Amino acid sequence: MDAPYLDALDEPAAAPLDDPRSDLEAVFHAHYPRVFRIVARVLKDPARAEELAVEVFLKWSKAADAPAESAEGWLYRTAVRKALDEIRRQTRRSRYERLVGFLRGPAGPDELLEIREKQRRVRLILSAMDPRQAELLLLRSQGFSYQELASTLGLNPASIGSVLSRAQQKFRKEFIKRYGEQ
Amino acid sequence: MESNNQHDIAQWVEQQLTLLEGPFHAGGQPQPDSVCAFARLKQRRGTRKRRGKAAALAIGGIVATWPLIALPSTREFVQRCVSACVGESGQLLGVPVFGSGSSARYLKPENRKPAADFVLSDAAGNPVKLSDLRGKVVLLNFWATWCAPCRLEIPWFVEFQKTYRDQDFAILGVSLDEAGWNAVSPYIHTRNVNYTVVTGNDEVARLYGADSLPTTLIIDRSGRVAARHVGICGKSEYESEIRKALTER
Repeated sequence: MDAPYLDALDEPAAAPLDDPRSDLEAVFHAHYPRVFRIVARVLKDPARAEELAVEVFLKWSKAADAPAESAEGWLYRTAVRKALDEIRRQTRRSRYERLVGFLRGPAGPDELLEIREKQRRVRLILSAMDPRQAELLLLRSQGFSYQELASTLGLNPASIGSVLSRAQQKFRKEFIKRYGEQ
Repeated sequence: MESNNQHDIAQWVEQQLTLLEGPFHAGGQPQPDSVCAFARLKQRRGTRKRRGKAAALAIGGIVATWPLIALPSTREFVQRCVSACVGESGQLLGVPVFGSGSSARYLKPENRKPAADFVLSDAAGNPVKLSDLRGKVVLLNFWATWCAPCRLEIPWFVEFQKTYRDQDFAILGVSLDEAGWNAVSPYIHTRNVNYTVVTGNDEVARLYGADSLPTTLIIDRSGRVAARHVGICGKSEYESEIRKALTER
């Protein structure tokens, strides 16, 4: 969407001309939707997902080592890591909340509660796994091809298949360990 | 799952991860709002740059970015900011155009409904009751410090307050920041907000259906809602509605 009024939203001084990230806007609009979806899929809260997705670009705009020519790999990698960090934090928090005895969250129909419980399990397993394996699984579930996975996570394209298999086995093993055969 | 065959495992894992897709809320999968998000990004970059300029500015920078650190993450009634002007039924009315003064949603007096009353506290802890403003035209604005379009509107409201304060007009800003006054106080202080601001809660937000920010209402002298805007809808539109409401007796 073209929005001519956006300049007015830029409350503080605009980026100077020598800004090394003068392509920020183009990069942002090219990749924001996918970055948002990567984060939003993992998190429950769309407002928080937007905040984290914005942080990904903020980090990119400041990261001297982030290559401008292949921004997308860096962005997606950072997005999936941030999302995983967030669910680890949330897992810790919910554990604490159970511990001190106040379970929060509105009650809903049984069906909804069941889905939420299933989601909670998936998040828990992902947050407990080796982060690199969890990243791989999450990006794969976002429809990333082997080639995209390899370039995003800096892996050898020839070994993606076996690395992915190991991650899937690990996920299943962890799941069975906690919840038994489903 | 019986088999431990790799193909089955891969499929099973994929199914588990697909569970994460929903259900989010009644609206289905959340959609990215690039315009809103980019405004947020620009705001945050700018804030950081200023902070780096001088040591003396460092403290001010921390104060200024505090609202942004205080994230809207745990509020039960989740608000998203809306960068476009949205109609009552949720349809997009387009991005705001400065200078346009159309006011199609300004209701005739006979079609207006009473504005739900509430009591909230201002920064000093004093109770502010909406119905105490009866007799005045009230601009009621639901906002948050993390919402870029909301921040764009604030200077307009400051200006309205200056222009119309002597004409039975009042502005009431209801912040829906999670962090409450920790986020709001520094912000209204640095932006010289000259009208009453209170911190809201889910209950009041629900009363007014403020699940998208900004949500702005024009309330007439007898306490009825004359207009309701979701998203950011143009300064002159608000102003023409205020003027109309002020001419009504």
